[in-house]
Amino acid sequence: MTSSALTKPQMRGLLAKRLRFHIVGAFAVSLGVAAFYKFAVAEQRKKAYADFYRNYDSMKDFEEMKKAGIFQSAK
Amino acid sequence: MACPFQMGLQDATSPIMEELLHFHDHTLMIVFLISSLVLYIISTMLTTKLTHTSTMDAQEVETVWTILPAIILILIALPSLRILYMMDEINNPSLTVKTMGHQWYWSYEYTDYEDLNFDSYMIPTQELKPGELRLLEVDNRVVLPVEMTIRMLISSEDVLHSWAVPSLGLKTDAIPGRLNQTTLMAMRPGLYYGQCSEICGSNHSFMPIVLELVPLSYFEEWSASML
Repeated sequence: MTSSALTKPQMRGLLAKRLRFHIVGAFAVSLGVAAFYKFAVAEQRKKAYADFYRNYDSMKDFEEMKKAGIFQSAK
Repeated sequence: MACPFQMGLQDATSPIMEELLHFHDHTLMIVFLISSLVLYIISTMLTTKLTHTSTMDAQEVETVWTILPAIILILIALPSLRILYMMDEINNPSLTVKTMGHQWYWSYEYTDYEDLNFDSYMIPTQELKPGELRLLEVDNRVVLPVEMTIRMLISSEDVLHSWAVPSLGLKTDAIPGRLNQTTLMAMRPGLYYGQCSEICGSNHSFMPIVLELVPLSYFEEWSASML
């Protein structure tokens, strides 16, 4: 019975191939984690502060706190 | 003040604290980058039966894992030094307040114009009114004008203490025989809490600091009424 010869399997360099694949993967994953943190947390925080202070009225804030009765020096 | 289960830093009330928050985010991002890289590599190493039995040297990877950490350290050092120098900028304070640490309370002196001195003791837990914060409230708060640069001179009458207000990014040691200076600038009115940050005896946890930031006119009325 004839059958086509099987292709010779890769017999050398298996660890090197695995390492190469996973080192690239490791850097990609860690850079992805860092990018995620930067955009989901760091940039969001900067934006939150910028948005808060854009139209912030400290006197209005103070009057509300004074009405709530929290100050010793301003009743 | 801090909230229960809080994981991060308190909201910033001064420009320096805002810078510190962003720096913390930057550095924590680098920490996550390195930790996830190491975790991935460890799990890769532990999930294979393949081995390399004749490793002698690895000059290329040695170069990489020397240069890369050096670059990362520079990326951390540059913003850090920037903020460090920013803290020391000349800013012409409009007011000077002195605080002395004692066992176990703070005393404050406003001596620019008149002689105003008072002590600031923690309110004991049994005497708190509803809504007040345990171990954080004091009888006489440090009233200060908002949106003005204030010089704080900090020292101690007995042992080491440390005057800290996290929301303003302040922590300065109170050392007997030494006068330390820090600059305070709050952008928002309100109450800001801190606690003694250097072990000073049995009641070290029970000598908090409360800053009451109010507009200048209210500060002037208060200081006149306290004389």
